[in-house]
Parts: sequence; structure tokens; C-alpha cells
Amino acid sequence: MDQQALRALEACCVQEEPPFCSAACPLRVDVRAFMAALTKGDTRSARRVLDRHMPFPAIVGRLCEAPCQAACKRIEVDSTLAIGLLERYCVAATEQVLKPPKMPAKGGRVAVAGGGLFGMTAALDLARKGREVHLFTPAKELGGTLEEKFRSHLPDDAFIQAASTLSGYGAHLHFQVRLDADALKAFAQDYEALCLDGNEIDMAGLPFAASTPDPVTLAVNDVGCFGGGAPNGPDFQVIRQVADGRRAALSVERFLQKVSLTAEREREGSISTRLFTSIEQVQPQAAILPASGAEYNSTEARAEASRCIQCECLECVKQCAFLQEFKEYPKTLVRRVYNNLSIVQGTRSANTMINSCSLCSQCTIICPHDFPMAALCRDARERMVQTEHMPPSAHDFALEEMRFTLGDACSLARHQPGMDASRYLFFPGCQLAGSAPEQVSATYQFLMDQLQGGVGLLLSCCGIPAQWAGDEALFQETLASLQATLDAFGKPELICACTSCLALVRKHLPAYASTSLWEILAALEHLPPECRTPTQPLALHDPCGARDNAGLRASVRQLCGRLGVQLHDTTMPEELADCCGYGGLMQFANQPLGRKAATVKAGRSEYPALAYCAMCRDNVAGAGKASAHLLEYLFPGKAGDDPLERANPGFSLRHENRSRLKEQLMHSLWQETAGDAPAHSALRLIIAPDLTSLLESRHILHEDVQKVIFHAEQGGNYLLNPENGHRLAKYKPVRVTYWVEYEATDNGFIVHNSYSHRMVLPEALP
Amino acid sequence: MSTLSFTHPTSWRCAACNQDLQPQKVAVTYLHSVFHVELMACSQCGFVLVPEDLAIGKMLEVEQLLEDK
Ligand code: SF4
Ligand code: SF4
Ligand SMILES: [Zn+2]
Repeated sequence: MDQQALRALEACCVQEEPPFCSAACPLRVDVRAFMAALTKGDTRSARRVLDRHMPFPAIVGRLCEAPCQAACKRIEVDSTLAIGLLERYCVAATEQVLKPPKMPAKGGRVAVAGGGLFGMTAALDLARKGREVHLFTPAKELGGTLEEKFRSHLPDDAFIQAASTLSGYGAHLHFQVRLDADALKAFAQDYEALCLDGNEIDMAGLPFAASTPDPVTLAVNDVGCFGGGAPNGPDFQVIRQVADGRRAALSVERFLQKVSLTAEREREGSISTRLFTSIEQVQPQAAILPASGAEYNSTEARAEASRCIQCECLECVKQCAFLQEFKEYPKTLVRRVYNNLSIVQGTRSANTMINSCSLCSQCTIICPHDFPMAALCRDARERMVQTEHMPPSAHDFALEEMRFTLGDACSLARHQPGMDASRYLFFPGCQLAGSAPEQVSATYQFLMDQLQGGVGLLLSCCGIPAQWAGDEALFQETLASLQATLDAFGKPELICACTSCLALVRKHLPAYASTSLWEILAALEHLPPECRTPTQPLALHDPCGARDNAGLRASVRQLCGRLGVQLHDTTMPEELADCCGYGGLMQFANQPLGRKAATVKAGRSEYPALAYCAMCRDNVAGAGKASAHLLEYLFPGKAGDDPLERANPGFSLRHENRSRLKEQLMHSLWQETAGDAPAHSALRLIIAPDLTSLLESRHILHEDVQKVIFHAEQGGNYLLNPENGHRLAKYKPVRVTYWVEYEATDNGFIVHNSYSHRMVLPEALP
Repeated sequence: MSTLSFTHPTSWRCAACNQDLQPQKVAVTYLHSVFHVELMACSQCGFVLVPEDLAIGKMLEVEQLLEDK
């Protein structure tokens, strides 16, 4: 990712765009923060917000026409916030809290002709910037020709205070100066820049060559003369005077610094904002009117301010456990990813974050600007793998499982028994084979009965774990072998039971025909004869893998309808579905977050869950929610158990189920025997249930335990505790060293504990 | 370089050598880094003990630090 890509991604997220009120305010007053402070009753903090961006708050806070108000988002719910009245309340209730700093004097003499709000603001901003400012007015006081209808709202000494503020910043004020042609000519000559306040000066009759002020720079000529503000009349607006004064001061600054007057000034003044704010959850609440008829009291002000929505986007964060966990929104997150990738020496503190995204694209669907979070995190992972900065512990376990599934123990590709061609190839996917092997067999049998032209079987893995892990080489290798199988089978139509497999095949092998099991089943005339209607209402949990496949989701609903399921949607149905925590290998790289994601998904409905993704089914069950796979109703198991009561089988059982399924199918359908099982697999283990869950969370498979004990017992290399007869042994099959504390009995090995580490001990070195 | 010690009295004995475990200096490695630590080990065959609390505590911590380097 280069700087440009970073910028483009950052710009995609609108969370940091100004809220509607502040965008409309030409002074960019942080109205949202102002309202937040008032809501807390913290009037001083509210005043601080005004002091920061508003010149002369005691005057402007009382007189501003509040153009922000018309822009307030709340109008879409009921009525806008009374921003103007609340500002008036605030400045009346407080003294100045924050005094913006004055920068060191840096030369540059500027004359300001005219003491109206335009001239006052220009003088103030320039004085704060450290310029030597001289303000001239024919009047005895500041304020220009401001009319009584405005003045009547101000304290008597408002302009005296303003004068002392200006003097405090070092501005020189010259009262009762005639601003005639000679005076103006002299200013133009004697000062490096000149600001003309149209409230006291006739801009049409200037004694030197000048045009009407340029709308962007307010320049009237190119020798440092700027003009703004308006005479009294219909065009006069307090906020315009002030905004122009600020604009003119900025132009003078640029003029004195000899930089472009025009570059990048689009964000000055009232602007439009790209912010998105949902008002879906906002309850109507009537506007508070001052009981006195004129001004708010403190209770009223607080109540009115509390109507502020505190406009922001965060639509994605509201739903996503990952974004919530890392307390980021995509705009800030993308910078952390970028910085992480740029580190040459030092700690890559964002590794875990990058590996925690489930790559499910829920946020992208939700985002008004389609922020591509999944692509960002996945590409970052690929980069980390390429540069050898991917933490091995993040994905090792999942990738080992994938290799196991692809290996001889589990993988199988056969034409339908008795046939030598396949029009279809049934591909249950690694997780369904692990979670519900009985349903895989039954489904395959049903497909063979129903479909013409031969239905082959492919037990394997599509390679998505490698893709998620950023291991592009491994992914391409897996994909190539899948492609080779499809070619060898004469390009049959691949029937995927797993929505993620299907999405992957469609994306990466677009030339091959593929479809979902659900669409195939929905198109058949009859449901499987043994199918069973669930007795209670169920909530359909769509998987994240079906996000882009509306047809598939409709087929599932059609099947549920025919099955007579009393079906409910979750609060995040269809393309909005959450990931269960498996996606992107989240649950491996960040186990606690994976659990949280499963819990969030489980909590999207009060009804028991019906899933059509094996991992969703298992993870939602793991989160303590009764959960069944649709195939368990279409093809109920022989034991007749309630599928809703089936626990999460976990990694170990899924691991064993996959190899057992191959063995069984080879035997029952093709009358073949699978190759010899490894010797360690014959060891009988006795594992208490709570130890089973500890092993699961430590990613230690029963097979790993078998390997440790097998090697220890074979060579007699173990430690012995004479007090209780326990043995402690270790073994390092690939990268991880596993330790098992166990007891040898006549019935098998009682496992007491197991743990692992990745650090390599000396005797294990090559 | 000082050697971190993780030794402590233990009831585990080496079954193969019929020996008590003794503190022993060993070099453990991870991702191109070498650490010299003192662990309990069989003085005869060199079987090194990594107790559970070390594996899931300090060792894991260091592993993760190194992984993020
Ligand atoms: S939905 Fe998320 S990514 Fe999209 S603009 Fe809002 S905060 Fe940013
Ligand atoms: S609701 Fe609050 S933050 Fe949103 S536009 Fe109105 S005043 Fe501004
Ligand atoms: Zn020994």
C-alpha cells in the first residue's frame, strides 16, 4: 500500500467528516462538542468550544444568524436544535474560558480600515498570527454601523471589551480617523496589506484601481488589498461579516507569506459534508422552547442540548465485534495497518488486529461508501507472509488442519460407484464433513438417487483458510489441485454445500460450473423422504459466505418453507449476516474475539438457530445457543436425536470425523479400504470433559495427545512422578512442542493435562 | 549475558535414566532468537522439563513478543 492508496482508503470512510451543523457554520464551530458539554450541564466546557473557533463570542454568540441550524440533521426526525439560542444562553452564562494563543510577532504591517465586525475579525485573526495590525475607524468605538436591533441584544460594554481583547493581542486601535480617499491611499502605500471593511467604507468608490472582492480570496487588487463585509441593509448578516473577516485575514497571511492565495480553500466557509448519520434509532423528542419567551434558563438549555444526536457515522462499528474490540473505525484502522506494514525495525503492534478481522465484508455492505475492510486486512496479511512477518501462531493450527484435510487421511475423489464419468461432483467442504459426517453420507446418497449422469464425490478443502491467512502460495497450490481434479473428472458441475467454498470457486475458477447444494435441493421435486419438520420456531442464521448470493439464500428459504419450518429472520438477516468467528480465521488468531463474534451472532434472535453453514452451526452452538444445521432436518441422523441439542463438536472431533468419513464411504460405497491408519491412532484416551474444552482452547487435538503418548511409550522417554505415578512426555510433530501428563491404565491412557509451546528446546534442534 | 533461571524443586524424575532432575543451562530458540535459560533437566540424557506455568506464561509471552518483531 502506498501513500496514495492510503489516502484513497482514508477518504472512503466519512466518520471524520464534520457534522452537518459544523459544516454549515463558516467558523466551523464544533457544535456537536458544544451540545455534548451543555447536555452534561458543563457550561464552561461549552464556552470553551465557542472560544476556540468564534471571534468575540460575547458578541457573535449572541448575534449569529445560526446558518448551522437549517443544516441540523435532527430536522429529519422532528425539528432542528435551537443552536442560536443555546449559544446565546452559553455566552450569557459564562465568561471567556479559553484564550487562544498569540503567535510570536513576525513582522508584516497590516492596516484594517473600518471597525465593523469584518474589520474587527480580520484584525483579531491577524494580531493572533503575530502581525502588526492597525485598525482605523471614524467611530468612537468598535462595531461599525451595527444597527440598534442587533446592539440591543448585547451588553452595554460589549465593544469596549472587544477593544480590550484586540489590544490584548497587540492590535493598535485608532478611533475617530477620517477614512477619506487620502487616508485610504496612504494606507495602501504605507502598509504591506490592507483590509477594507465594507460596513464603513464605500467599496465602489475606492481611490485606487480595484475590482469587486474575489469570492474566494476577497482580493480587490493584486497588491495586497482585500475587502469584505457589507453596509447595513438587506444583505447585512453578522455571520457574513465575521466569516469574511476571517477569510480576508487568511488571504492577508498568504499574501504576506507569498504563497498561493487560492490553493486549497474549498473547505472554508459553509461547506457540504459527506458524513452519514443514521436516524433509525433516534426517538422523536419535542423541541424545548424558553418559557420566558426569549432566553433559555439552565434547565431548558440542558434539555434542548440533549436532543442533539451527536451526529457521526460508525455504522459499521455498531455491528462489528472486531471494530468494537480494537476501538477503531476504518479511517483510523487503515492508518494503523499502513504503519504496521511500514515498520522496518521494532514491534508490529497491529499484527493481531490485522489478523482479527473476519474478512466477512459485513461492514462493506453496511458502509454508505462501501469501505473495503476485508480486502485491506487480507492484503496486509499477504504482505506480512511475503515479508516473513506473519506471526506463525496466528494461523498455524488452521493451516495444519487444512493440510490434514487435503492429505491422504481425509481427501477422496471418486466417480459415483459403478460409473466412470461425473456430470456433478458433490463437494461437502471440510467443515461439514467434520461436523456432520452422517448428513454428508445421506446427502450424497440422495443426490446420487435424484440426479442423472453421475454424481462424483470430492472430500477435500477449497483452500480458503490459506487465502484468509495470506498464504498465497499455499492457496494457489490448493486451488491448482482442485482445478486438476475438476479437469480429471471432465469438468463436472461442482455442488458446494459450503457457501464459502462456492464463493471462492466462483471467484477463482470462474470457467468451471459450480452451484450450491441448496439450489440443487430446492430444484428437486421432492424433499428427502426421511426429512423431519422442526417442532419449534427457528431463526435462520445466514452465513457471511452467502452475502453475495441472494439466489442461494432464497433457495434455503424455499427449502425451509417446504419443510414447514416456522422460520424467523435474525436482526441481521440475508446480506447483513454476521460472521460466526471462523471467517478470516478470526477465532484462531484471536480466540476471545472469535467467541465474542459467535455470541453476537447467536444473540441476533431469541429463537434457536437454524444454520446452513457447518461452522456457523458449531460456533453458535459453542456460544451456548441451541443450533441445528438444515441438513440435520433434511437428513435426520439414525439415532433420532434432537439436532438442537448437539454440542459444538470442536476441532478434535471434526478432525477425527473427517478421516472417519473417508474410511466409511470408501468402505460402504466403493468397497475399498483406506490406507493404514497411523499407529498412534490406536491409542485409547480417557479425557475428562473439562479437560476436553481446555485442549480445544489450547488448540491441542486428541491426535496430538496420541502422538505424544505413543512416542513416549515407544522409546520410554518420559518423566515420572513417583508420588502419583503420572507420566509427563513431550513431542514435536512439526513446529509446536506438545506436553501431556497422563497415566497408563489397563483401559487406556488417562489424560490429566496437556499444554504446548513454540520455543524450541535444545534436544529438539536438528 | 546473564542466564534467566526457571528452576524449582520438582517431583518429576527421568524415567529412562532413573534420575532426579537438576538445574541445567540450555539454549532455547524461537524465530532466529536464542535465549540462555536455566531449566530442570535430566543430568544423564538431558531431557528438559518445561512446566505448564512456564509454557503458558513467560514462554508464551516471549514467543508473542518475538512474533511481533
Ligand atoms: S460505515 Fe464505517 S467505514 Fe463506512 S463511513 Fe461509516 S464509519 Fe467509515
Ligand atoms: S443533531 Fe447535533 S450534531 Fe447533528 S447536526 Fe444537529 S446539532 Fe449538529
Ligand atoms: Zn534421563
